[in-house]
Amino acid sequence: MSVERGGWRVRALKLWIPLGAFMLFTLFPFYWMAVTSIKPNSELYNRKIMPMIVYHPTLKHYVDLLTETNFLVWTWNTFLVAVVSTAISLVFGTMLAYPLARMKFAGSALISFAVAATYLVPQPLLFIPLADIINQLHLGDTLTSVMLTYPTLLVPFCAWLLMGYFRSVPVELEDAARIDGATRLQTIFRVFLPLCVPGFISAGIFAFTLSQNEFLYALIFLTQTDVRTVPVGAIAELVKGDVFYWGQLMAAALLGSVPVAVIYSFFVEHYVAGLTAGAVKQ
Amino acid sequence: MANIVNAASRRDVLKISALTAVGGILGASRAGAAPKQMTMMHESSFIPAYDAYFKNTLAPAYEKATGIKIVYETVSVGSIQTRDTTVAETGTGPEMAQMAFNWPFLFDQKLVDVTDIAKIIGDKAGGWHANSAEAVVVNGKWKAIPFGNIGQLMNYRMDWFEEVGVKSFPETWAELLEAGIKLKKAGHPFGFELGHGFGDNHGWLYPLLWSFGAREVDKDGKTVAIDSAETAAAIDFCREFFQKTMFEDVLGWTDVSNNKAFLSEQISCTNNAESILYVAKRDFPDIGKVTGQAQNPKGPSGERFHMLNPWTHGIFTHTPDVQAAKDFMVWLMDPKQVAGWYDVADSYYGPFLHAYDDASFWHKEPRNLPYRDSMANSHLPGWPAPISRPQSESVAKYVVVDMFAKACAGKSTKEVIADASAQLKQIFKSA
Amino acid sequence: MVGPPILFLCALVGYPFLYGIWLSLEDRPVAHAGTFVGLANFVADAHDPVFWRVTINTFVYTFFATILKMVGGLGLALVMNQNFRGKNLIRALMLLPFIVPTVLSTIAWMWMLDPGFSVINWLLKYFGLANPGPSWLGNPTLAMISLIIVNVWRGLPFYGITLLAGLQTISPDLYEAATIDGASTWHRFIYVTLPLLKPVIFIVTMFSIIFTFADFQLVYVLTRGGPANATHLFATYAFDIAMGGGQLGMGASVALAMLPPLALIIIAMSIYMKPNKS
Repeated sequence: MSVERGGWRVRALKLWIPLGAFMLFTLFPFYWMAVTSIKPNSELYNRKIMPMIVYHPTLKHYVDLLTETNFLVWTWNTFLVAVVSTAISLVFGTMLAYPLARMKFAGSALISFAVAATYLVPQPLLFIPLADIINQLHLGDTLTSVMLTYPTLLVPFCAWLLMGYFRSVPVELEDAARIDGATRLQTIFRVFLPLCVPGFISAGIFAFTLSQNEFLYALIFLTQTDVRTVPVGAIAELVKGDVFYWGQLMAAALLGSVPVAVIYSFFVEHYVAGLTAGAVKQ
Repeated sequence: MANIVNAASRRDVLKISALTAVGGILGASRAGAAPKQMTMMHESSFIPAYDAYFKNTLAPAYEKATGIKIVYETVSVGSIQTRDTTVAETGTGPEMAQMAFNWPFLFDQKLVDVTDIAKIIGDKAGGWHANSAEAVVVNGKWKAIPFGNIGQLMNYRMDWFEEVGVKSFPETWAELLEAGIKLKKAGHPFGFELGHGFGDNHGWLYPLLWSFGAREVDKDGKTVAIDSAETAAAIDFCREFFQKTMFEDVLGWTDVSNNKAFLSEQISCTNNAESILYVAKRDFPDIGKVTGQAQNPKGPSGERFHMLNPWTHGIFTHTPDVQAAKDFMVWLMDPKQVAGWYDVADSYYGPFLHAYDDASFWHKEPRNLPYRDSMANSHLPGWPAPISRPQSESVAKYVVVDMFAKACAGKSTKEVIADASAQLKQIFKSA
Repeated sequence: MVGPPILFLCALVGYPFLYGIWLSLEDRPVAHAGTFVGLANFVADAHDPVFWRVTINTFVYTFFATILKMVGGLGLALVMNQNFRGKNLIRALMLLPFIVPTVLSTIAWMWMLDPGFSVINWLLKYFGLANPGPSWLGNPTLAMISLIIVNVWRGLPFYGITLLAGLQTISPDLYEAATIDGASTWHRFIYVTLPLLKPVIFIVTMFSIIFTFADFQLVYVLTRGGPANATHLFATYAFDIAMGGGQLGMGASVALAMLPPLALIIIAMSIYMKPNKS
């Protein structure tokens, strides 16, 4: 934003207070998760004490989680699946978004409708026929099953998001490059796509997160502990009967999300830098 | 761009067709030979030792005896029905699986007829309990082998009950209400689930309904019988019971909530399986010492009831070698093997075979004896009607649970009965 | 270029979709063959009071959650668009509700909303404001509100980050030009920011509506549709009927009831996205 007038009061009003409010709302549950994950069971079930602090913190839940369950295996599986699904979704998404954003051709309206229509089918309805297909391809209990099915949830949104970004890039830039003698392909790779990095990052973050988070398909297709992802593995092995292993569940929640957030923080920096360097002005 | 795109898509297509080809070849070679392994799918038990016993003791023993490897696949709680459904639907996956409730009826066309081995197993172990057939017999054939009943009984704080002058667990619902009023005043309310869980809600509401003489459907399985004076009496009692002894949260409780509430000393009485006592003794010994278990109270009809919550084992029809699976089942349920399995679970799964009526594991913890005694008057939801599709639809739609819950939340008895009756008539129209 | 993705979607979505439609027209108990019954399932749904309750719930839930997310997300994006120390780390932390596996964070919320354990209620009790405090998941109205809050909590970061990226594609030149022309901060917002953000807001909102409308996990973990169907949504009801009751055909019919409202939204989006729009 351009010149800011007014001193720290204005800044407090515009920045610190709203930011603080958002942060409280967003991060309080994580504080709660963290506290719960280091509380011994006796404190956890004690309703009389102040719930927000821990009197005798213990790392037992973390230790149990890492040593007595396959948590690390699930984490690796989740990461692998998320990366592959995201890659497929971004590629397919771009392949759909570019023509629809930039080119005129017959049937484009139908295609955009068809892509949109995939979301009409909710997962609880899809999973039975999908289970059928997966089993016929003998992909049950393999990570390939989810790597193939997750993009069905992700591609349409990636396509839409990318279309939005693609459209906001002025056509003049590409035209200029073409006039300079570049082929369409070169234009796309050297001029266009780099400008859309924020879009790819947004779409990529969305896709990666949704893959990580997915539950229903993983539940149906991945039943052996070695191939499970974190959401399913945690629920399968940390909930026994009507007994929840709360401490371990919360430890799993934190271990499953905080590292990813830290990684994301690097990308956030990247796309801001990518934008200002992209110099729409120039 | 065009070249890259085509290359990518060709790779994908090749990959898929290669996988299919490989899968096809593998599948073909498996069909002919005797099974090298079979899979038994089970819901993960909250008693880790139980699952471990199968994996580490039973499976290796069978492999040693026959050379067939038995894989024990666990599924998270609440997901076993979904998994069973997928396996039944697609005809692939584990050969044997654990079922619950009336699922042998639901999956009946995909389950092997095990009447023959049921007889063998029963004969070896003193015969089957009368109500074990309720859950597994479809059109006169046994479609699954009953394994264990996870009884739902009253769990209560013996010390707090004594403090208000109640020395032993009340015999009737009316007496329980009186005790509850005193306990709520003393700061120890009751907590019975009225939300959308799997078991703890049905676990007391159906017995309540039955003990007042009310029925959901007649014995013929077609006539909706819920609209009756008995039902109204049950509902009125339930509303009073809720208002005078409990608190609002229970309306939204799921199965885990009452465990949590009991173990954190929020409530003095609830209904549950043996899991509360088991966890209490393990993690909260002080609470464990004063926790008691008792059969459900009797109603105005003079009878008491419990909900039947059977775990059964079925063999799917897609099993390549059905005889091998049957042989395993017979071996498993032989007292030499299964007694140890029951024992390791500390009677959490009450056997359906009379041979174990006086087994040592019942006496290890005398407080578990009421679970054994409750077997005689335990029934599936929908009793006295036989199991049927409309019945499982009614359970899935929480018709009876919501009827009670809405009444407790404030609706009039007449209105909730009318709603439930209309819903049931719609559901049982096709019966 | 559009070939491969279209084929992919046809195989893995199109075919199951058609299969789902076929299912809804059948009486199809699990593990049994189906019998064609035409619209009988839909007629049964129309007579089912729970079905209408579910319909109202889903619309209420979607409407309020989306509005809150849209407004909140925009506010969050505007706040985060400023420069401050630790900006990147904070931006990443704000993404946490979206990153953490929904199942697990919902379990954490379950604990926080249980009045017996809730830190919220504990604080209310401590400050003498309420005792024992609201029954977040037991009272039907509060249960719906709680659900909306958790959904907003989970979805806000997604709105925030997407709108933030959108904000960052707006050239500072435009703001400079507007300021030179004498526009105030508020005017800059209305006449420069909003119009340029409109495409992104539109897409994200439409998307969010679709996902919220078809939400399953949150309700399934928190209340399973209780108390007394106060929080049952189409997805959870369809699941209970199909998976719990073994009625695949009827479950499909409930799931397909989501189609008309979703279709309207989809059509709106398609018109928006038709090529040759300048």
